[in-house]
Amino acid sequence: MTDKKTKKGSMKRRAFLITGGLLGGGVVVGIGGLTYVNKKIKQYTATGFEGEMMNAWVSVTPDNVITLAVPRAEMGQGVSTSVPMLIAEELEVDLDQIRTIHPQPESPYANTQLITGAPRDLSRGITLQEKVAQFVPVVGTGGSTTITDGWEAMRMVGAQAREMFVSAAAARWEVPKADCYVQSGSVYHKGSGRNATYGELVDEAKNFASDDLVQLKDEKDFKLIGTSAKRLDIPEKVTGEASYGLDVRPEGIRYAVIKHPSVTGGEILSVSNEEEVLAMKGVEKVALIPQGVAIIADNTWRARNASLVIEVEEDHKGNDKIDDEYINDLLDEAIHGDAIATHEDVGDVSAVFTDQKTNVEGVYGVPYLAHATMEPLNCTIRLNEDKSADVWVGHQAPSVAVQSIAKVLGIPKANVKIHIQYLGGGFGRRAENDVTYKAAEVAKQMPGVPIQLVFTREEDMTNDMYRPGAKSKMSAVVDPDGTIRAWDSRVAIQSVMQSSMSRIMPMMAPKPKDDVSTTEGLIHLPYLIPNKRVAFGDVPLPMAVGFWRSVGNSQNAFFSECFMDECAHAASQDPYLFRKTKMSDHPRYEAVLDRVAEMSDWGNTPEGSFHGMAILKSFGSIVAQVAQISRVGEKSFSIDKYYCAVDCGRTVHPDTIKSQMEGGIIFGLSAALYGEITFSNGSVQQQNFPQYDMVRMKVSPVTEVSILDVDAYPGGVGEPGTPPAAPALCNAIFAASGDRVRQLPLIKLGYEFV
Amino acid sequence: MQLKINGVTKEIDVEPGMPLLWVLRDELNMTGTKYGCGVSSCGACSVMLDGVAARTCTLPVKAAEGKAITTIEGIGSAGALSAVQQAWVDHQVPQCGYCQSGMIIAAEALLDANPEPTDADIDESITNICRCGTYQRIREAIHTAAKLRKEAPNLLGSL
Repeated sequence: MTDKKTKKGSMKRRAFLITGGLLGGGVVVGIGGLTYVNKKIKQYTATGFEGEMMNAWVSVTPDNVITLAVPRAEMGQGVSTSVPMLIAEELEVDLDQIRTIHPQPESPYANTQLITGAPRDLSRGITLQEKVAQFVPVVGTGGSTTITDGWEAMRMVGAQAREMFVSAAAARWEVPKADCYVQSGSVYHKGSGRNATYGELVDEAKNFASDDLVQLKDEKDFKLIGTSAKRLDIPEKVTGEASYGLDVRPEGIRYAVIKHPSVTGGEILSVSNEEEVLAMKGVEKVALIPQGVAIIADNTWRARNASLVIEVEEDHKGNDKIDDEYINDLLDEAIHGDAIATHEDVGDVSAVFTDQKTNVEGVYGVPYLAHATMEPLNCTIRLNEDKSADVWVGHQAPSVAVQSIAKVLGIPKANVKIHIQYLGGGFGRRAENDVTYKAAEVAKQMPGVPIQLVFTREEDMTNDMYRPGAKSKMSAVVDPDGTIRAWDSRVAIQSVMQSSMSRIMPMMAPKPKDDVSTTEGLIHLPYLIPNKRVAFGDVPLPMAVGFWRSVGNSQNAFFSECFMDECAHAASQDPYLFRKTKMSDHPRYEAVLDRVAEMSDWGNTPEGSFHGMAILKSFGSIVAQVAQISRVGEKSFSIDKYYCAVDCGRTVHPDTIKSQMEGGIIFGLSAALYGEITFSNGSVQQQNFPQYDMVRMKVSPVTEVSILDVDAYPGGVGEPGTPPAAPALCNAIFAASGDRVRQLPLIKLGYEFV
Repeated sequence: MQLKINGVTKEIDVEPGMPLLWVLRDELNMTGTKYGCGVSSCGACSVMLDGVAARTCTLPVKAAEGKAITTIEGIGSAGALSAVQQAWVDHQVPQCGYCQSGMIIAAEALLDANPEPTDADIDESITNICRCGTYQRIREAIHTAAKLRKEAPNLLGSL
């Protein structure tokens, strides 16, 4: 397949687009690539560490308390275990020997892949882009990058600290370092059997330097990596002790709720019944802030009650014209008008469509979606007398949060101390800074008092940064022998990258045409298609849209993999073999597809059951799924089982991969079955569950996951389980009924699931 | 007003209509019980009232007066987990974990009423939302907890 016209490599797809022309791209600026990673934390804010810092990631006390930094957000995807596993593997400590802390968002903890779009290669030094990511710094969790970004760097900091202990022991015993070895947090001398714990060595070890690059273990010698160690966060999550943002209770806490403008992009101008509200029990303050009205009270429920009676004057900013018809018209214009960018252009698509008749075509559509994290958005801030601030929040991008809070409070970033809590779901929503800057506005109202701002479920759902609604016009010429002669996709969608980045990192916001997330999941498919085009039309709408688990892949996999199914049926071919015979250039894809076919016994569906298949590579991992459903009525189905095969390269924690696939499928199914945010007179119509419902126990399928054993660089796992779920289901519905679903959610089309 | 929570009597002074959830969370700082929706749809706020699972975000505190209230804090603790909690650990159920207090309460209440539930029983009685989608592991863990309860009726082992 020739794809020389392809604009962006797939690894670039989530990069925040610091372009090569602007900043030198991949130019290596120094071999001291680890300087930032390895910097002593004393120069930073060493919150929570105990004892001596060996580097920014590891501290040890004389009585052997070993603390590891986990600068990534635990939102269920297991990083509070997998990050320590990477460090501990090289530090040679056991997981029951360590404690972990979430450090301040400082340079050593930057996630450079969020900027560069590619994992670090420590051996080649640091690139200018990586240096920028560290300088800013960009400390965040998203894009399924924790393992892919940290695979080398997080092991390296463990190795560096280990080398310091070995050097100290060798010096103390006056023996060659080569005669020492390390096990479970102690250094041993081979000949004499002498040994010392890290704690016993730490006063000497701290004075030794480590090389920037230490030889990492051979992968066959891994003790922790590749095992399903019991997750470190689970014990406190079954006793109710785990602390989420909404659970912090600093002394003297007050509670605030916010009432946002009723129309998207609107503004609240004034409050007309402030006296009445202030007279309500427990209410202490009513504050008009730039983004709405906040009510501060001594109890969340009292604040919430006040927010229900408050009367406001609003300026809708002309956005009350927005409704579903208005949105639909703009989407239609964008799939039929001129494209603003072509993200894939292989062969000569136009020529084929001129010569041959399109024989497969359809217009697909998906609605806007809310994140609906189980824990409604919240942030607690105390503005202190000395112009510092304490912040308690569960956040995916603490560096973004700190910046937004410092700006509102008018204090230096260094004065903002952030106490990261567990996240009750993230899915991209908690990378935004809206709740943090609004909480800062609220904190300003009562200096010295910690105030917990919460979006009630209704405010959370109606003021989300939504997964945009989208349409895609799909056309193909399929020969009777099954060759896809030509494929043309035109996607219409608001640009997530432009919208989100303009809020959280404005200097890095791309133009919509350069937002590769608009077409991810449609470009670079593994299929042999000699003539293929994927183009994109922007949709000028004012709604705030954002990263939603798997981003563009979340809708584009539905478009591409259902349309593949249409092409297979147009050629009267089996959907599995139709795909497989086009994958000869992509053996890893083919192996995943074969695995899921084998697991599901494809072609031998149980009596009364029907299968549908989908496959997509996203975030560096290939995931194939088969949905097995049974029909219980005309449009009524039971989703009995999902088979899921995944190639995510080398595995760090197989059980986490499994749970992310299980959960990713449910996340995709909730959207496919029920998810829809609609607008009327500029206002979001869904306020709460069950208007915006989720898959629950009864509808939830059993999932069987198989991880392929592949010795390759790790891929991400937090998101790739989601995209194939909807197309696999819809293809199964076609197999069962002959009805081709091109629009979600399914309940709106009259389908029922039991 | 007096409330009996996890065997301890607590004195509170609030409006009788305040939902029990906000009494627990904001008046008593017992934050294991979670706010998810405020309309009794998601179940994150579940506690046991006289042994029956109840959603507290719409339950006026007055209605809980005189009843035995059991919150997640009263189910078990590190070192003395209940069978359900132990099964949750064994199956590595939680992801983000935010809904799990409510899920565990719902599972305890189910097993109290029906010591050997079938999959269909579980499907009917566990109606809470888990946004991370841990349902399959919850189902497996409930079956394991049913076995553990039979083998060791009292609180179990340690973490």
